[in-house]
Amino acid sequence: MLRTTLAGLLAHKLRLLLTSLAITLGVGFIGGTFVLTDTIEVGFQQKFTADAEKVDVAVRSKEDDEIPAELLAKIRAVPGVTDAQGLLGGPAPLLGRNGKAVGNVPTTGISIATGTLARTTVTSGVGPTRPTDAILDENTAKTRQFAIGDTITVLDPEGGKHDFTLVGLFDVGVDQWLAYTGAVGFTAETAQRMTAAKGYREINIAGPNPESLRDAVAALTGPGYRVQTGTELADELARASNIEAGYFRLFLLIFGLIAMFVAALVIYNTFNILVAQRTREMALLRCIGATRTQVFGSIVIESVVVAVLSSALGLVVGLGLGAGALAVLGQLGAPMPTDAPISLKPLTIVVSLLVGMVVTVGAALFPARAATRVPPVAALRSQLEEPTFRAGLVRMIFAGLFLLAGAAVTAIGVTMENGDTALVAVVAGGAVTFLGVLVVSPVLMRPLAAVAGWLPRRLFGVPGRLAVDNSQRNPKRAATTTVALTIGVTLMTLISVVTSTTRESVQAQLDKQFPVDFIVTDQRGPEGSGLPSALAAALRQSPELGTVIETQLTTAKLNGQERVVMNLPSGPETRPTVTEGSFDALTPGTIAVGKQLASAKKLKLGDTVPLATTEAGTVNVRLTALFDEEDVDQAQAILPEADFKRYFGSPGAAAVYVSAKHGVATDVARRAVEAVALPYPTAQVASAAEIRGEFDEALDMVLMIFGGLLGLAVLISILGIANTLSLSVHERTHESALVRALGLTRGQLRGMLSLEALVLGLIGALIGVVLGTVFGWAAMKSMPIETTFTVPAGQILLLIALSGLAGVLAATLPARRAARASIVDALAAA
Amino acid sequence: MTILTEVQHAVVATGLTKVYGQGDAAVHALRGIDVGFATGAFTAIMGPSGSGKSTLMHCLAGLDSVTGGTVTIGNTEITGLSDKQLTLLRRDRIGFVFQAFNLLPTLTAEQNIRLPLDIAGRQADQVLLDRVIETLGLGDRLGHRPSQLSGGQQQRVAVARALISKPQVIFADEPTGNLDSRSGAEVLSFLRRSVRELGQTIVMVTHDPGAASYADRVIFLRDGLLVTEVTSPTPQTVLDTLLKLEA
Ligand SMILES: Nc1ncnc2c1ncn2[C@@H]1O[C@H](COP(=O)(O)OP(=O)(O)OP(=O)(O)O)[C@@H](O)[C@H]1O
Ligand SMILES: [Mg+2]
Repeated sequence: MLRTTLAGLLAHKLRLLLTSLAITLGVGFIGGTFVLTDTIEVGFQQKFTADAEKVDVAVRSKEDDEIPAELLAKIRAVPGVTDAQGLLGGPAPLLGRNGKAVGNVPTTGISIATGTLARTTVTSGVGPTRPTDAILDENTAKTRQFAIGDTITVLDPEGGKHDFTLVGLFDVGVDQWLAYTGAVGFTAETAQRMTAAKGYREINIAGPNPESLRDAVAALTGPGYRVQTGTELADELARASNIEAGYFRLFLLIFGLIAMFVAALVIYNTFNILVAQRTREMALLRCIGATRTQVFGSIVIESVVVAVLSSALGLVVGLGLGAGALAVLGQLGAPMPTDAPISLKPLTIVVSLLVGMVVTVGAALFPARAATRVPPVAALRSQLEEPTFRAGLVRMIFAGLFLLAGAAVTAIGVTMENGDTALVAVVAGGAVTFLGVLVVSPVLMRPLAAVAGWLPRRLFGVPGRLAVDNSQRNPKRAATTTVALTIGVTLMTLISVVTSTTRESVQAQLDKQFPVDFIVTDQRGPEGSGLPSALAAALRQSPELGTVIETQLTTAKLNGQERVVMNLPSGPETRPTVTEGSFDALTPGTIAVGKQLASAKKLKLGDTVPLATTEAGTVNVRLTALFDEEDVDQAQAILPEADFKRYFGSPGAAAVYVSAKHGVATDVARRAVEAVALPYPTAQVASAAEIRGEFDEALDMVLMIFGGLLGLAVLISILGIANTLSLSVHERTHESALVRALGLTRGQLRGMLSLEALVLGLIGALIGVVLGTVFGWAAMKSMPIETTFTVPAGQILLLIALSGLAGVLAATLPARRAARASIVDALAAA
Repeated sequence: MTILTEVQHAVVATGLTKVYGQGDAAVHALRGIDVGFATGAFTAIMGPSGSGKSTLMHCLAGLDSVTGGTVTIGNTEITGLSDKQLTLLRRDRIGFVFQAFNLLPTLTAEQNIRLPLDIAGRQADQVLLDRVIETLGLGDRLGHRPSQLSGGQQQRVAVARALISKPQVIFADEPTGNLDSRSGAEVLSFLRRSVRELGQTIVMVTHDPGAASYADRVIFLRDGLLVTEVTSPTPQTVLDTLLKLEA
């Protein structure tokens, strides 16, 4: 029996090739994910070890507070300590060659340790030794065009300019924050002065025998500090980054599992078709004495052979994918180590092979069971019956139950209070609904094919008609084939609905937040000293500009907790929407707070709350209005303009809103704003359009990443369509020959198969688009933000068109084979 | 033979040879056949198994390429035509009835009958269609699919399909091979009626002397050569000739 199976396998090896490819791709993606993340983890471990092992003991605050300078002095006195240095850091805006602070956020200034404790990798030049020395991270130096020997200017916390000589360049390693902001390194004293850090982030200690040194230092610092040896620190940092790598792995694996699920459908379909085609063969085997178990076993063995071969190949593909992804990430300069040797752990091998095996053999079990049901007499029947399909009662009941349950769970998710549970409910509802669709899909195939085939049937004459008929011929087969594609399309639609809804909602919100043409902000944010009022005054003088409105922000303790407080902007158009009370009532001694904060803290109009001010001590203010926080950038509470001055003096403006004078072109107005802002290094000018543009880009990026990752599932489903078609073409060899004999040209025959694939692709897309839109809506409903639901019609139409195209593409090879076949041979084959 | 020169020929083959394979493995299926099939006549091709009957028919119908010689249908020499031209020729000027699997399972009987016309984008001759359907007794079966028809009914649908496009010639390869004698007789007498009443030209390959006796003329092949022929055959004369051939 085994020999018969293997012979059969060899005979059908071409037909199994596409199936194997589906498994290979899925396993490859999963294996590649492990290879990629494992290698990154190894890289992190290596980097942290190399970094932290330079110190013998490290002291950090448990609460993330700064470590007071006195502690450093005490530690230096501990016996056995040969050296101890504090590390500190904070915003230190670097000015670019145009005199403006670089980047969207201030550059981070850090202290560079020296001697045995030097941890920074200076890649060229030397570390800072004099108060006027500074070093820059390589990337910032490159993008801002600074070279060793240049003079660079950095702002101190008050905004004063200080010049430094650039003496070296350094590598920020795997520090993601420094990689993002850019970094400038000074000696410890200079760093302290430039960042106004009150204490240290970390104290590094050198000395013999780290363990006993650690215990001695720990005894000194007390329980508020974490005292670790360098090795312990490296391990902890690596663990923290491993958790991140773990999330990354999980994220990728989700897509791997989706791909494997699609592959499972493809395998299930292939084996089903193979069994159907070999009915007579099976029956013959039964006639000559093979038992049901033997028939079952022969199919299972076939699937095992396919599984082993393609899983092993998938593992190899995975290694390649992992290495390729690392190379790409390295090229893109991702802040993660990509240069560690490729890591292939035994777990990766086991998981990849196991997943491939379980999915393949599991999916082949149902077809194998179907094979055992072939009665021996089938060998004697001359013509095999056309598969008939009736929507059985059991199927309808199951489908109904699934769909009802799915709809109910989704409805609960949509109507319940927004939050994580709501989203989980929607996801669960989506999964159950999908199962329902999977069960009911064979019933949907005929009507949907009629819809999708309406145009082809009318446009393409006989080939069109035959193609649509063929696509309706075997609803079960068509259903599994198209549902595989549906998965990818559903998720793509969902993502595109979610992003377009977010886009629309955020745009509406931005319009409300920035009802002006330009906004000038302080790069240093609310912690900075703000923009001087001279800037706003100068803007008001500019003939090109109309409205100029300043907002001032500060942080203050309101009712005991730190909140962002704003003055009431003078222009009504820049004020947030009032949800209760009114800004007219915002008289001296009163305050307005955000409605979310009010509801969280159970505050109502008329309540009096204490506000800690800098100029007037703690004052009691009465609540007279609630406003919508989503309409403003950051503020949680709003004070009358005069009160704000009285309580907090006149801090610089956090933002200045500017509109062009009526009739002045935007670019002219912009040049005017920039000219005024030029002397203020940290004043950043942005147009409302730019802010929208940035957001758009971020969303496009999300769309692209998801599209790319879902691409694999879509690719596998296209393989599935190709596979089903080529198996169908094989089954219909005789029919193809017949229509060719009756006068269908080769081109028409090819076209007929392409049309059939087009119809299948369109059906898959139609179901997917409906599901994706509904669940995209449900997902947005469960989010704790107000959204304006929008359907990205253009993207969805594109998706439908691409699905159809994918189908046509999948048909090319089978169609060519069908068209090439000789009529006489094909007639003889029957 | 004197009559032959005067009649019109729907199909003429001259010096037709067909070799399968090459070198040692070469099989000479047709070794030089000269034959004409008169317009409006019903001709049967007979011969022992492997004598080249199917090959001859395939070559005559432009389904297979020839190794040497020419085939002319009407005024068109088909040897040397491109695949596309042959396809159009088959579509417009030739009808087929095969031994089995003649019909597309997804189409109803009527759709199957109209298929060649639909492919060509031509309108059916309604009068002819009604007459054919009535004569074949298919009236109440038009909406059925092939799987709901008996073998005899399926073959009658195939014959109707071949007739409806009024081809210059119909080729039939053992059209009654899978039928019992009664269904077979129905199909054969219908073929003969279509020759008599519609002036259709039919070339039929058969093993069955009884089937051959419906024809006007029977030609006999052996080892790829045309060896003899019988006009106005009866089952007995055909059987005798066959026995002589195989001896
Ligand atoms: N595709 C092919 N390749 C090689 N040889 C072939 C091929 N088709 C037919 N033959 C050979 O050509 C010869 C004629 O075959 P053909 O099918 O024409 O015979 P036939 O008279 O129709 O026989 P039967 O009555 O059994 O149908 C046979 O010897 C056959 O083996
Ligand atoms: Mg034959």
